[in-house]
Amino acid sequence: MNQPVRTTLQKHSERLVPFVGRGPVDVHRRPRQVALRVGGVVALLVLLLVAGQVLDIARLLTLEEALALAAFAMASNLLIGYGGLVSFGQAAFFGIGSYTVALGWLHWQLSFWLALVIAPLIGGAVAGIIGLLALRSRRLYFALLTLAFSQLCYVLAQERYTFTQGANGVIGPMLPDSLIDPRHAYLFVLAVAAAAALVLWKITTSPFGLVLRATRENRERMQALGVNVFGHQLLAFVISGAFCSLAGVLFVVYSQSAYPELLDWTQSGYAVYMVVIGGMFTFLGPALGAGVYTFANQYLAQHTSDWQLILGLILLVIVLFRPDGLAGLLSPRPWRSAARRLQARFGQQEDSTTDTTDPDRTTGELP
Amino acid sequence: MRTLILDVVGILATAGSLFIVSSGLTLVFGAMRLINVAHGSFYMLGAFVMTTVAANSAGARFWVAVAAATVVVAVLSVVVEVSVMRRIYASDHLTHLLATFAVSLIVADLALRVWGSGGRSVREPSVATGAVSLGGATFPAYDLVLIAAAFAVGLGLWLLLTRTPFGWRIRAAVDDPELLSCTGTRLSLLRTGVFMLGAALAAFAGALVSPQVTVAPGMDTAIIVSAFIVAVIGGLGSIPGAALGALIIGVAETLGASYAPSWSSSFMYLAMIAVLVMLPSGLLGRAER
Repeated sequence: MNQPVRTTLQKHSERLVPFVGRGPVDVHRRPRQVALRVGGVVALLVLLLVAGQVLDIARLLTLEEALALAAFAMASNLLIGYGGLVSFGQAAFFGIGSYTVALGWLHWQLSFWLALVIAPLIGGAVAGIIGLLALRSRRLYFALLTLAFSQLCYVLAQERYTFTQGANGVIGPMLPDSLIDPRHAYLFVLAVAAAAALVLWKITTSPFGLVLRATRENRERMQALGVNVFGHQLLAFVISGAFCSLAGVLFVVYSQSAYPELLDWTQSGYAVYMVVIGGMFTFLGPALGAGVYTFANQYLAQHTSDWQLILGLILLVIVLFRPDGLAGLLSPRPWRSAARRLQARFGQQEDSTTDTTDPDRTTGELP
Repeated sequence: MRTLILDVVGILATAGSLFIVSSGLTLVFGAMRLINVAHGSFYMLGAFVMTTVAANSAGARFWVAVAAATVVVAVLSVVVEVSVMRRIYASDHLTHLLATFAVSLIVADLALRVWGSGGRSVREPSVATGAVSLGGATFPAYDLVLIAAAFAVGLGLWLLLTRTPFGWRIRAAVDDPELLSCTGTRLSLLRTGVFMLGAALAAFAGALVSPQVTVAPGMDTAIIVSAFIVAVIGGLGSIPGAALGALIIGVAETLGASYAPSWSSSFMYLAMIAVLVMLPSGLLGRAER
C-alpha cells in the first residue's frame, strides 16, 4: 500500500472514531487498561512457555493443536467479527497451508522453512481469486459462495489422487529434524502463533482495521464517505486467507500429515464455532474458543462418546443466551448490568459508578 | 438412443431425490428466512427410522416405513422448532446458521447412539425390484419410484401453496408476516407447520433413497451441501427454482459420472459458483430484503 492511500485511510479513521468505539476493541484506551492488557498477554505467554516445559507430551500435543487452531480462529475472526463477513470457507485456506507443506515435501522435497514462507502467499493468492468472486454477493449468499469454493478445494484434494493421494492424505516425515522433538515443535508453534496474533492485532487496530469495522457497522455510510468498501473487504479476505494458511502450516507441525477433511465445510464450521463460543467481539476470544474446543474435544473423546452432543449444546446455549461468547462472560460488563438490574428491582441506588450509558457495550446484536 | 434413455432416467432419478430434499429447505427459507443446516439431519433421521421400521421387508411394510419415517421426523421437528427455532427467527443469518448447526451436531450424536456407526441398508419394495428394459436400455426399476415421488411432491406442493388456505397463508407470510398476523393468523403456529412440512419432506426423501444408498452417519453433512447448492442455484425460497436446480445438478452429476468420473463431484460446485457469480440471487430467486 503506497503512502497517499495510507493518509486517506488515516483521515477516514479520524472521522470514524465516534462510531467505531462500539467494536471489538477500543481505539483510545486509558493507560491503566493498556498496562493491564499488556500484563495479561505477557502473563499468558509466560504461562504457555512454562507449560511447554512442564506438561506431559500428550497434553503438550493438545496444547500445540489448540495453538494452531487458535491462529486459525483469530485469522477467521478478522472476517467474521471485524469485517462482519461470515465465511464458511476458511477451511480451504487452512487446508491449502497444510497441503503446501505436505505436497511440497512429497513432490519436490521442498524444505519446510520455505513452505512456511510460501504457504501464506499461496493462501493469500487463492483468497484473492475467491474473494474477487465471492465478495460480489452479500451476507448469506457470500457464506454459501465461500462454502462452495472450499468444497471445491475439498473435492479436488480428494479426487486428484495422483497429486494429493486422495482420501488417505499425505503422511510422512515432512518436518525438519529440529522440529522432531515435541518440545521444540511446541515452542516453534507458540512463537509463530504469537507472532501471527501480534500482526493480526496490529492490523485490526490500524486505520485499515478501523475502516473494516466501520464497513461492518454501516456499509452505506462508509461508501458515502468515499471508502472503497469492496477493496477493504477484499484485502481483509486476502489477509485472513494468508493467516489461515499459516495456521494450516502450524497444524502440520502437530499432525505431521495433510488430509482432505482439513478442507471440508465442517472444518470451516468449527472455525466459526471457535470464534463464536470464544467471543467474536474480542480479539483473543476466538483463541479462547479454540482452546476450549480442543481441550473439550480431547477430554470428551476420551471419557464419553457424546462429545458432539456436548459441543452442540454449548454452541446452542451460547447462540441463544450469550451471543458475545465466553469472553463476553469473562468481561465485567454483563455482571455489572446484572447488578444494575437487581438494583433497579430492589430500588437501591448506592453504586453510582455503574454508568448506564456505557458507550462500548457490545449488545447482543451480531453483525 | 440407449445411452440417451439411460442418461435421462439417471438424471431424473438423481434430480428427483435432490428436489424432494431441497424443496423442504427452500420452502422453510422462503416462508421464514431461516437457513436450516439441520435439514440434513432430518434427512438422515428419516433414512434411519426407515431402516428400523422396514427391517429388510420388501412387502407393504416398506411403504408403511416410509410413512412412519416421515411422521416420526415431523413430530421430532416440532420439538426442535418449539424449543430452539422459535427463539431465533428474529435474529440474523449467522445465528440461524449456528443454532441449526448446533442442532445438527446434537442430532448426529443422538443418531449415532441409537443406530451405531455401521452402515445399514433397506431392500427395495417388491413392486420395484430388479431392472426395467425400455428401448434397449436397462435401468433400476426403483429409479421410476423416485421420479414418480418427485413429481408427486412437486404437484402436491403446488396444490398446497395455490389451492389451500394454509398455502395462501404461507405465501402471505413470505410477503408480509406482520400484515398476516393482523388478519388473525397465528404466525407461530404457521411457522411450526412450515418447519414441520420442510422436515417431513427431508425425511420422506431420506426414507425413499435408503434402498439405493448405505444409510450411515455422515449422510447429514453430505446431503445438506447438495441440498443447499440445489436451492441456491434455483434461488432460495423458490420451489420451481429448486426443481430447476435439481435438474441442473442431476445433469452435472449423471453426465459427469459417465463422461469424466474423476471430476464428477467438482461440477456441482462449479455450477453453483457460475450461477451465483452471474446471478447473485440464483436463477429464479428474489433479491434478499
